[in-house]
Amino acid sequence: TVTEQSSSLPLPGVNVIIKGTTTGTSTDFDGIYQIEVSNGDVLVFSYLGYVTKEITYNGESNLNVALDEDAAQLDEVVVIGYGTVKKEDATGSVSLVTDEDFNKGNIVSTDQLLTGKIAGVRITNSGGQPDSAPNIRIRGGSSLSANNNPLIVIDGVPLSNINAAGVSNPLSLVNPNDVESFSILKDASATAIYGARASNGVIIITTKKGTSGAPQFNFSTDISVNSAGEGLDMMDSATYVRFIQEYHPDLVDKLGVPIGSVQTNEPISQIIDTPNGPRAIYDTDWRDSVLRSAFTSNTNFSARANLFDVLPFRGSIGYTNAEGIVKTDDYERVTASINLSPRFFDDDLKVTLNAKATYADKNSVDTGGALGGSLVFDPTKPVYNNAPDNRFGGYYFNTAQDGNRLILDGQWNPLALLEQRERPERATRFLGNLELDYSLNFLPGLRAVVNLGLDASKAKITERFFNNAAATYQFDVDGNYLFNPGENYAENQDITNTTMDAFLQYTKLYDDKFVTKIDVQAGYSYQNFKNDGTKREYRYHVDDPNTPDDDDQVGLRELIFDPANPNNRYYNEYNLQSFFGRTNIDILDRYLFTFSVRADASSLFVLDDVWDSNAWGFFPAAAFAWKVSSEEFMNNVNFVNDFKIRFGWGKTGQNDISQVVGYYPTTPLFTPGSPNSQYLPGAGLYSALPYNPDLTWEKTTTYNLGVDFSFFKNDLIAGSFDIFKRETKDLLARVNVPPGQGFSDTFVKNVGESEGRGFELNLNLNAIQTDDLSVSLNGNLSYVYNEITDIGGQADINRGGSLRGTGSFLLSDVVGQQAQSAYVFKQLYDSNGNVIPGAFADLNGDNIINDDDRYHVQIAPNWTYGFGMDISYKKWDFTTVFVGQVGGNIYNFSKMNYGFTEAAVPANNNSITNVLNFYNGAADPAFENVNGNIQFSDYFIEDATFLRCNNIVLGYTFDNMIKNGNVRMYGAVSNPFIITDYDGIDPQNFGGIDRDFYPRPTTFTLGVNFDF
Amino acid sequence: CTADLDTEPKVELSLEELLATDPNAVEGIVSRLYASFALSGPDGPGSSDISDDPGESPFLRGIINLQDFTADAMKNRWGDDGLDQLTTTSSWDANNKFFRYLYNRAYYTIPQCNNLISILNTSNLPDTGEALLEARFLRSLAYFYLIDAFGKGVLVTEENLNQTDPLPESNRRQLFEFVEAEMLEIQSSMSEDNGYGRANKYVAAMLLAKLYMNAEVYIGENRYSEALTYLNIVIDEGGYQLAPNFLENFSADNDVSPEIIFPLIADAVNSQSFGNTTYIVNGSLSSDTMTLSEFGAAEGWQGHRATSAWYGLFGDLGTSNDARAALFWTSGHNYVMTDYREWTDGYPSIKFRNTEFNSSSNTTTSFSSTDFPLYRLADANLMYAECALRGAAGADMNKALTLVNNVRTRSSADPISMNELTLDFIIDERGRELNFEGHRRTDLIRFGMFTGSSYLWPWKGNVQNGASIPAHYNLFPIPEQALSANPNLQQNPGY
Repeated sequence: TVTEQSSSLPLPGVNVIIKGTTTGTSTDFDGIYQIEVSNGDVLVFSYLGYVTKEITYNGESNLNVALDEDAAQLDEVVVIGYGTVKKEDATGSVSLVTDEDFNKGNIVSTDQLLTGKIAGVRITNSGGQPDSAPNIRIRGGSSLSANNNPLIVIDGVPLSNINAAGVSNPLSLVNPNDVESFSILKDASATAIYGARASNGVIIITTKKGTSGAPQFNFSTDISVNSAGEGLDMMDSATYVRFIQEYHPDLVDKLGVPIGSVQTNEPISQIIDTPNGPRAIYDTDWRDSVLRSAFTSNTNFSARANLFDVLPFRGSIGYTNAEGIVKTDDYERVTASINLSPRFFDDDLKVTLNAKATYADKNSVDTGGALGGSLVFDPTKPVYNNAPDNRFGGYYFNTAQDGNRLILDGQWNPLALLEQRERPERATRFLGNLELDYSLNFLPGLRAVVNLGLDASKAKITERFFNNAAATYQFDVDGNYLFNPGENYAENQDITNTTMDAFLQYTKLYDDKFVTKIDVQAGYSYQNFKNDGTKREYRYHVDDPNTPDDDDQVGLRELIFDPANPNNRYYNEYNLQSFFGRTNIDILDRYLFTFSVRADASSLFVLDDVWDSNAWGFFPAAAFAWKVSSEEFMNNVNFVNDFKIRFGWGKTGQNDISQVVGYYPTTPLFTPGSPNSQYLPGAGLYSALPYNPDLTWEKTTTYNLGVDFSFFKNDLIAGSFDIFKRETKDLLARVNVPPGQGFSDTFVKNVGESEGRGFELNLNLNAIQTDDLSVSLNGNLSYVYNEITDIGGQADINRGGSLRGTGSFLLSDVVGQQAQSAYVFKQLYDSNGNVIPGAFADLNGDNIINDDDRYHVQIAPNWTYGFGMDISYKKWDFTTVFVGQVGGNIYNFSKMNYGFTEAAVPANNNSITNVLNFYNGAADPAFENVNGNIQFSDYFIEDATFLRCNNIVLGYTFDNMIKNGNVRMYGAVSNPFIITDYDGIDPQNFGGIDRDFYPRPTTFTLGVNFDF
Repeated sequence: CTADLDTEPKVELSLEELLATDPNAVEGIVSRLYASFALSGPDGPGSSDISDDPGESPFLRGIINLQDFTADAMKNRWGDDGLDQLTTTSSWDANNKFFRYLYNRAYYTIPQCNNLISILNTSNLPDTGEALLEARFLRSLAYFYLIDAFGKGVLVTEENLNQTDPLPESNRRQLFEFVEAEMLEIQSSMSEDNGYGRANKYVAAMLLAKLYMNAEVYIGENRYSEALTYLNIVIDEGGYQLAPNFLENFSADNDVSPEIIFPLIADAVNSQSFGNTTYIVNGSLSSDTMTLSEFGAAEGWQGHRATSAWYGLFGDLGTSNDARAALFWTSGHNYVMTDYREWTDGYPSIKFRNTEFNSSSNTTTSFSSTDFPLYRLADANLMYAECALRGAAGADMNKALTLVNNVRTRSSADPISMNELTLDFIIDERGRELNFEGHRRTDLIRFGMFTGSSYLWPWKGNVQNGASIPAHYNLFPIPEQALSANPNLQQNPGY
C-alpha cells in the first residue's frame, strides 16, 4: 500500500516501476499495487507533487511506502496547452505563479493576484472601480487593429474576448480564492499549440482541486476601507471668485446664486456685489461631494475532501461586497464552485468536473459624467436646493429662462447624476468543464482525452431614473414641464460559448537509451462563441403633425419600436476549429525537443476551399532545451542546482477583428437603418456594409532564447532570463480605402509589418532560510519595444485618442514608431523657460507650422518592473509588492482641458465652469485658450515613469487556536503610495490619455483566515 | 462541424435575404442613397457611415461649412480647429478635417449608388420603378460636389465596383463630362413627379443647369445657353411656384411648400442628424440672447451668425420693406463683427427655424424637422436671369426681369427696373435670397469675387475688414487621407 506521509491515507495512481525497465504498474483507489519483482530490484514510486522514492526490494511480500508531499515540486508543474509538464522539462518561455506568490490584501478580482509578479506581463487596470477592466499585455502586444489581449484559459476552457453585458472585467467572475496557479505562456514555442488566439500570449488559470487525503476546510474573511488620494488642484470657491473677478469681470454675475433663490443648510461663504445685484457664494468641494470612503468585504469558505473515499471533492462559496469610492458605485458578487475528480475502471478513466457559478450585481454609474462634472462644476454653487420652486429633487441645477420655460443649462450637478439614477447590471455566469482522460490498455502509454467546456452567461441591465431626475426633464405640448421616472433602458443578453478538445497522447519512456522519452499528441479543438441579446430603448414623444391626437403624449417617454428589428436584437457568432499535434522527444534526459503544429480555421475569414483558403492558418513551432545541469561535467559543480538553456521558434496567428469591424467582415451584407435613421417614407432604409473578402490571418513569428537557473544552497538565487524577437506580418489594421473603392473610407486589411524585441528577467533571492526566519526577495524586469516597420505605404493610421472637440485625435500608427504613439507639436518656450502658447518648432524648416511639423512621442513604456519581499519570522509574515515602469508617456488631458483661462467661459450656455488653480502653478494663465493646434503640444505630454507600492501585508499565525488547524490574522494596505513626477492624478494608464480618471483608492484591510 | 465555421448573421442581411424578406428592399436601398446627403449613419445621429465623427461629418453639414462659412455671409464662432480656418479663409491645408468630411461623404455616396446600379443591372427584379435613374442622379450629385469643391477625383462607377487597386485620377473635365453624359442620358427619362424628396426630371434639369452655369469655372467653356435650356424646363414645365411667404421654405412644415424642387429631408423623430438643418437651426440659436422655444428648438449651440456682408445688402434693417431683412436677430447683438469668436458680434440668421409656418404649435425638439431646400424655384429664377445677362442663346430679358421681380416682390422688396438688372445686382440678390443655402462660395467664384482682393468681407483672410486670399483657394486641398490611400492622386496646386 502506498500512503500519504502526513495523513496516512492511501494514494491512488502512484506509478510504480522497476528501475531500469519499462515494467510497472500503478496503485488503485486504496493505494494498493501488485508487481512481480526479483530480489535486488529497485522500485521507483513516483506521483506528481510527491517526492519520488526508490526502495530496493528485499523479498518482502508486502512493501508499504509513505510518500512525502513535495511542496517545492508541486510548484514545478506547469500547465501548458493540452497537458502539463514539469517545469524543469519545459522547453518554452513559461512562467508559473502559485498561490503562495499571489498578491495579498484587498483582492477582488483574479487579475489582481498577478499584478507585478511576472516580467513582461503588464497589467494596467482601467481605474479604481471594483470591476475595472484589467488590460493585460504580454510582451506589449503585436497587433494594430486586432485584439491584443492574451488568451485566457480557465481549467481548459478558453474564454471569449467578449464580456457579459455590464461586466467590465472577465476575471472578476472567478473567485480569486479558487485559483491555484497561473501559467503564463509567453513565447511562440509555448503558445503555438493554441495557434489561433495565441499571438499575445496565453494565461492558463488552474483552479483548486479536491484532495485524496484528509478533509480540509478553509474559512476566510476580510474587510477593507478604501479612500481616494488627492485630486486635481481645481480652484476652491474663494480662489475661483478672485479668478473670475480678475480674468472675466464680465462674468461675475454668473458666480454663486441670487440671494434668497436657494434653500440649503450649506453655509454661504461670502456675498459679492455684481452689476446685476448681490450674489450668494457657496463653498462646495464637488469632488468631496461625489466621493466616499468605501467598504469592501470578502468572505470565503471552501472544503476539500475525499467523499466516500472515492470521490475527491472541492467546493467553495464566496461573497464579495465592494463599494467604489464614487458614490452609488456598488458591486456585489456571489461565487460557488465544485470540483470533482473521480477515477474509474482501475484508474484508467480519470474524470475531472469543474463547475463555477457566479452572480454579480453592479450598480453602474456614470463615472465619466460624475468625475468630470465634479472637476468643472462651479464651486460657488451649492449642492442642494430645497427651495419650493426647485424642480430637480432638491439638487441644485444650473438653469436658464427660455421664454416661459426654465431649461437646464451647462454642467449638471454631478451628485444628482449619481443619485437620480440606478442602473443595476446583473450577470449570472456558469463556467464549467468535464474532462475525461482514458488510458487505453491495449497500448500502455496511450491516452485519449476529451474536454468539454461551457461558458454561459445571462446578463440583464436595467436603467431607471428616479422622480424629478434632471435627465428626464421634458416639456409638454403647452410648454409645461414634466418628468419621466422609470425604465429608460434595458438589455438582456445570453452568451453561450462552447468548447471541445479531443486528443490522443502517447508517451513512452526509455531508460538507459539514447532517446529517453517520446511523447506524441494529436487532437482537434472546437470553439464557438455566441452572443445574443435584445435591448429596449426609449425616446421622448415629439409632436407629430400628421397625428393630431398625440398632443397629450408630447414629452412622455416611449419605447422605440423598430419594425426591421422588433426586439433590437444583436447577434454575433464566432467559430474556430483547429487540428493540432505535438511531439516531445527527450534525448539522454537532458536534450529536450518539442515540435508542434496547429491548423486553425476562423469563421471571420472566407472558407471557400477546405484547405486552401483564407480561413485556414498554419502555425508550426519548435523548441529545444538543454538541461546543462544534468550533464556529467556538472556533477562536481555544486553551486548549480539547475541550469537550462532554451531556444524556441514558432508562428502564431491573430484573427480577432470583431471589435473593429464586427463578426462578418468578409461578407457583403446590408444593415437596416434604426427608427431614427430613416429617410423616404414607406420604405425601411438599408445600407450596404463595407467588407473585405481578402482578409486572412495575421502571423507572428517569435524567436526566444532563455535560461532557467537555480544556484547555491536552498535555491539562493533562482530565476529565468529570456530574450526574444518577434516579427508580425500581414498585420490586420484598419486603414484608408482608396476613395470610392469600398463602402466606407476605412476598413481592415492585411497590411504591413511590425517587429518587437525585448528581454525579461525574473529573479528570486532566498536570502535567509532558517527555522525561525526566512527572507526572500523577488524581482522582475522587462524591456519590450515594438516597432511598426510597414503600414502598406500609408503615411499614418489614425488610432483615436480624442481630445477636446471632435474629430481631433492624438494617437496614430506610423512606420518607425511604436503602435499608438502620440502625434504632437514641439512646444516653444521663451528665454525664461515660460511656455509660449501656440508657438511650435518648425521641425521641417519650411517656415510654416502645419501638420508636417508634428512628431511622434511614444506612449507605451519599454521598461516595466516589479519587485517584492517575503519575510517570515516565527509566526509573523510580511510581504510587499512594488510595480513600476520607466519611460512611457502620458497625455495630461486635465492640464489641457481645465488649464486655460477661457475654460471657465461658457461655450453655448450661461454657466461658468471651474478650472485648475492658476495661482499656485497648477496651470499657466498664459493659456487663454487651447484652440487650433495648442492641444497637440508636447507640453501636455508627461513622463509616465512611476513606482507604486502595490501592497504591504503583515500577518500572524496562531497554531493551536483551534483544533487541528491554524488561524492567520493579517492587516494589509494596498496602493499606499506612488512615486512619480507626473503632475496629473495617476500615471499608470493604459490608453495614454489621463482623462476623468477614476482614482485608484488606498485600501486598508483586516482579515482572518482559518485552516482546519 | 466545419459547417459551423460558416456563421450567419441574424440582423444584417445578404442581398438575397433582403430581397426575399422585404418587397420594398430596393426602395429601402434608394432611401439610403438619398439619406447619405443628410444622415450620418444607419443607427441614429451618433452613428457614422464613415470613420469620421458622426456629428461633424454629414454631407449637408459639409456643404454648409464649405459653401457658406468660407464665404462672405456666415461665420462660426466655436473656434474648432479646421472650422476656424474655413470661417477665416486662412491656413487651408490638406489636414483640415472639414475638407476630408465632404470628400469622404461624396465617396461614401458614390459606391453605394454604384452597388445598387450594379444590382439592378445584373438581377431580374420585378418593377423597381425609377431606382436605377435615381441612383445615377444621386451619384452625379455627389460627383458635382467633387467637381465644384476639389476640382478632381477618381471616377468610380459600377464598372469598377470591386476593383481594389487604386484607380487613376480623373481631372475636372473628365468628371464634368461623366456627369453631363449621365444626366443627359437620364434627364428626359425621369418621371415628372416621383414623390416628395425624390429626384425627377426637373431635379435632374436643375443639376444640369448648375453644371452648365459653372462650366466656365469648371472646364473653361461658356455653356450658359445649355444652362438656360434646362432652367426653362424647370421653370416652365416643372409646375413649381414661389411660396407666397419666403419663410414657408425654411419652416418645419416646408414639405408643403410649392417652391422646393429638391429637399434634403429632416425629421425630429425619423431622420435625426447633427448634420441636416439641425446644424443650421440649433447652431444659429443661443439662450444667451434669444428664446430657443420661439424657434421650436430645445438646444441652442451658439455658433453661427451672419455678417454685414449679408445683412448690409438690405440697407437699414429697421426700415427695409424686404421681409428677408427681418430674418436677423439683432437684439443684444452688434452690427460689426469685431471678433468672430464673440457670440454677440454679428446677427444670427433666423431664416431657418424648427417651428411650423402653418400652425402655432409650441413644441420644441432637439432635432430639426425642417427640410433643407437644396434646389428651389427662386434659385432657378435668379439663375435664369444670370444666364440671360451672360448672353445665353434664346434668353428672354423680360422674362428674366419678371422672374427676378417675382422673387423680390414675394418678400415685399421693391421690384427693380430693367436697367437695374445687372450681374452686380444678381450676385447681391442671390445673397439676399439664397445665403445659408449652400451656394454662396460657388456663386462668388463664378463672379470672380472669391479670391484676390476685389471683394472683401469680414474676416476674409483672417482680418476683420477682410484681406486678399490667394487664387488657389478657388479649390480646396485634396484631403491627406485620400492622398495616402490612393497614390495616383495629386494635390491641387498651391497646397
